[in-house]
Amino acid sequence: MSTQIDVNATNKTTQDDEINLGILRELGSIGAGHAATSLSDILQQSITIDVPKIHNVKPYLIPQFYNLHDVPTTGILLQLNEKYGCDILLTFEYIEARKIAAMMNMVSSVDELDQTMETSALQELANILIGSFLTSISDFVGVGLMPTTPQMVTDTFDAIIDNFLVKQSMVSDNALIFETRFKRNGEDAKSILMIFPTQELKDLLVERSKSMMGV
Amino acid sequence: MLYLSVGSNLNGACKPMSKRGAYQQLEPQIVIDANTNTHPQLEEVRVDMAGMKVDSRPVELLTSVGSCIGICLYDPAHKCGGLAHIMLPHSSQGPLEPLPSKYADTAVPALAAGIRGMTGVEAKLSAKIAGGANMFANTTANGLDIGQKNIKAVRETLALHKINLAAEDVGGSHGRRINFNLVSGVITVRLHNGETKKL
Repeated sequence: MSTQIDVNATNKTTQDDEINLGILRELGSIGAGHAATSLSDILQQSITIDVPKIHNVKPYLIPQFYNLHDVPTTGILLQLNEKYGCDILLTFEYIEARKIAAMMNMVSSVDELDQTMETSALQELANILIGSFLTSISDFVGVGLMPTTPQMVTDTFDAIIDNFLVKQSMVSDNALIFETRFKRNGEDAKSILMIFPTQELKDLLVERSKSMMGV
Repeated sequence: MLYLSVGSNLNGACKPMSKRGAYQQLEPQIVIDANTNTHPQLEEVRVDMAGMKVDSRPVELLTSVGSCIGICLYDPAHKCGGLAHIMLPHSSQGPLEPLPSKYADTAVPALAAGIRGMTGVEAKLSAKIAGGANMFANTTANGLDIGQKNIKAVRETLALHKINLAAEDVGGSHGRRINFNLVSGVITVRLHNGETKKL
């Protein structure tokens, strides 16, 4: 005998919401394209991106959606300055993170890496990748978006993302989460870039984008 | 009543931690209980974020937390227990949503009611909790250490409902996988590096 809380839920969006989501998705595509080019330059490999997705969901449904509960994961967090308040989380499956760190250190095997080399390489990767992402968006909308110094942790996927989902839950029943995934040499790089924008930042980006496009 | 006597199902699940082997996938394990016979691992039933389950079957309730907390209530006389994966301290804060298992102050009475509803008796319950970590140290700079707030709220709510907090593994900066064995009432907390604790 078992009881289960029903967590199924869907969100309704208006036509205006759809237009705004479309604008944000387009901004994300611009940013992710530049980020992929930067990553490709660093790794000297072909890096492509999937079409970015925007999830407008209840935050607590996200772990079920990804279904990566206990998968060892490296998460790198950057935050935008306080004015715009926004968390940016780049995750790699741990094994993939180590492969990338080995490439950046130009060593032939992950066994040649020590913790310092690994941390330094991945933080630098996040700086370049997310910096490139934000710069391209900043240039487009004419707003300076500066990230903080990256913080990195390795743990299970659910443990890493729950802090962000809790933060989202504190301000809204629904969360807008921007997601993009990279491919390395045509294969899934097992990496997710998640952005948790505040309402203020969403409004600002949409307003500036409309202004730029003359809408 | 005869229940399978199953040792902690994660005994032996932690492989030797070589320098490079600390982050192995968590794989299901078959465990041999030295006291009795060979038993397969109990069925694992996952409790999702902001979810809650109450069960009286010989199963293990499972969840994974960072700053959230897994609250386990147990009725040892009836081998009936429940696990709630709470996200926030108080239902009065933030947007209200009719989901009692999302908040510490509503999850505890909901779990207790669920167990009593299943057993049909007003038995004494005991509690064990795990979680409440702060995964990214600098996020406290924004005044947000939700893990500590969750820990405080769970302790206060248990005291309010006169439920004994028998054991806890809380705080720190690491995630926890919680397995709640409804046969023994034992909780196994496993860290990503393979380290385990029993509560």
